[in-house]
Amino acid sequence: MTIALDVQHLAKSYGKKQAVKDVSFQIQEGEIFGLMGMNGAGKTTILRMLATLLKPDSGDALIDGNSIVKHPEKVRACISYLPDEAGAYKTMTGKNYLAFIAGLYFKDQQEQKNCITLGEEICGLGDALGQKINTYSRGMTRKLVLARTVMIKPKLAILDEPTSGLDVLNSLDIRKTIRKCAETYGTAFLLSSHHMLEVSTTANRCAIMKDGMFLAEGSPQELLVKYQAESLEEAFEKAVKSS
Amino acid sequence: MKNLLKKELSELLNKQMLLGLLVSFILIIMLGFVMTSTVSGTLETGEEIHIIDLDNTEFTQQIITRLEEKGYLVEFTTENKPYEIILEEQNWNEAVVLPEGITDNLLSENQTCELNSITALKTTSTMNFAFADSSSAEFVNNMIKILLSEQFLTDNLAFLENPIMITDYTVANGKSIQANSISLVSSMAIFDQLMPLLLFMLVILTSQTIITAIATEKTDKTLETLLSAPVPRSVIIGAKMLSAFIVALIYAIVYGLGFLTALLFTVDSTAENINISSAFSDMIHIQEATQTLGLQIPVLGWAGVIIQLLLTVGISLTASMMLGGLVEDAKGSQTASLPILIFTMFPYILSMISDIRNLELPVRILLYCIPFTHTFIATGCLRFHQTGLFLAGMVYQIIFLVAIAFCALKLYQSDILFVHSLSKKNKILKSQGGNS
Repeated sequence: MTIALDVQHLAKSYGKKQAVKDVSFQIQEGEIFGLMGMNGAGKTTILRMLATLLKPDSGDALIDGNSIVKHPEKVRACISYLPDEAGAYKTMTGKNYLAFIAGLYFKDQQEQKNCITLGEEICGLGDALGQKINTYSRGMTRKLVLARTVMIKPKLAILDEPTSGLDVLNSLDIRKTIRKCAETYGTAFLLSSHHMLEVSTTANRCAIMKDGMFLAEGSPQELLVKYQAESLEEAFEKAVKSS
Repeated sequence: MKNLLKKELSELLNKQMLLGLLVSFILIIMLGFVMTSTVSGTLETGEEIHIIDLDNTEFTQQIITRLEEKGYLVEFTTENKPYEIILEEQNWNEAVVLPEGITDNLLSENQTCELNSITALKTTSTMNFAFADSSSAEFVNNMIKILLSEQFLTDNLAFLENPIMITDYTVANGKSIQANSISLVSSMAIFDQLMPLLLFMLVILTSQTIITAIATEKTDKTLETLLSAPVPRSVIIGAKMLSAFIVALIYAIVYGLGFLTALLFTVDSTAENINISSAFSDMIHIQEATQTLGLQIPVLGWAGVIIQLLLTVGISLTASMMLGGLVEDAKGSQTASLPILIFTMFPYILSMISDIRNLELPVRILLYCIPFTHTFIATGCLRFHQTGLFLAGMVYQIIFLVAIAFCALKLYQSDILFVHSLSKKNKILKSQGGNS
């Protein structure tokens, strides 16, 4: 398997507060990696550094062999980032929004068309794609923005709380889409989540974070064994309280 | 109720708003000082009477003495030189000419005498000019009437009622011509005051549009999506600026056409009320006068003015990009545009009420530091042949634009966009996505 993401000793501070401390991990192609942690643990900071929105104070990360520090522009061509509670341009129709995003990634008309078709298929919004986004429900908007994230078939898709604020059925749809895209297109996923169930049912591997550091890393099963827990939620509680 | 009121006030009275208020307060005080000095300066000028006494007789000396007795500060010369030279040598803005032979003509009561009123035209600001325009000729005229009625017993009442005919002369750019200076200013004001108004609107509209657009993108997190896409930051910034400019230009064209139509309608209706043929001939005369005095701006000059206009909008857009990047949300965008509003309004109002180019040096330097000022004075510079000042302003604007564009690009390439905001409250939590 090829390494899609190789994070090496990443660190970031905001003034005196160290948000991320010497974090290292790898994600393989087609793998789904979940970051779990409490508020302020440093999950979003890691995601934003990998999305080239923030510069690390030290360390580096290679995405498809490209350094986020030295070649952020090359990194941007092989990643796709979905921020927490991200919206879309409300005056556009769903279809126009997918076309707009495709235009940012592909110059070739045919490639753009293929990308849009894939986006339409992934989001499953059907005729609603012809309507303006300001008429969409939260679940519909989330499906649309997830579709635009994965339709470009990035090497690494970075998802911050992908199912935050969604109902059970919409959350299930999103998780299925993530798994399907990882399997079908070999896209590596890095997602942050508060939902242990989501991580345990979606991610191949995961990490528990506290105060900018990894407390534990492994498959959900490995973490259950490590903390002698029956659920990932219990493992998380034990990991955080024992640190 | 008390709790609600407290909550509402704490939301409305934030640090950002109070800072804006403080800056506005300081600038308004400064504006007040400049206005006061302008108005008091022109009022002082109103008490001065400058006389070019070409007749130099006992009667004309009596006019001067009696005016002084009335409390006017009278300065006079008996030199017979071209008006523009006398005004420049004496550093006068206006003067009244008592022509040679005026005493004989008045005493013989046989014909109405001519009195020349000369005004040095230095600005096209009508408000400023209304103050500066002296009625010295009227004071001299009245004094002549008083002296005639006191000294002579005559039955020629018609002559006593109207012994003088005042002829207006205007001096500008080292030339003089027989023309009324207010008419000249009015003819140029259509362009010289419409342009600053359009500029003011363009700057305010573009800055508000772009700051709100970026603040909305930040709130919707679409900005993060854009900045993580494989598109150069300069292209993202450029596209936003260009679109805001196009929208503002549409506004400016529509409003500009509206104002122009209204102005032309006013001129037309005035002409109808007076006399179309005389109004037309006056217009031709005014056109010739502005040409003779070198007050007309050549095509190349207008091109320069348009370049300055574009540079100003460019600066405003780039500054707005930076301010927009630093606001937290759409609510914050309302106060974020305040610095641009103030720095535009300050030179705009001053250009309306005074001649910026002739203000006190410290005030002038302060105003010249604001890049928008140079566009507000552009037409004035070109009409009064201050090409050096015009070009220096343009060069300064170019340097300012390049510098601010560089800063904007650096801002959009840095963490600051996500780590800092104009309101520092919760900045660390925000920078961490609010939840992790």
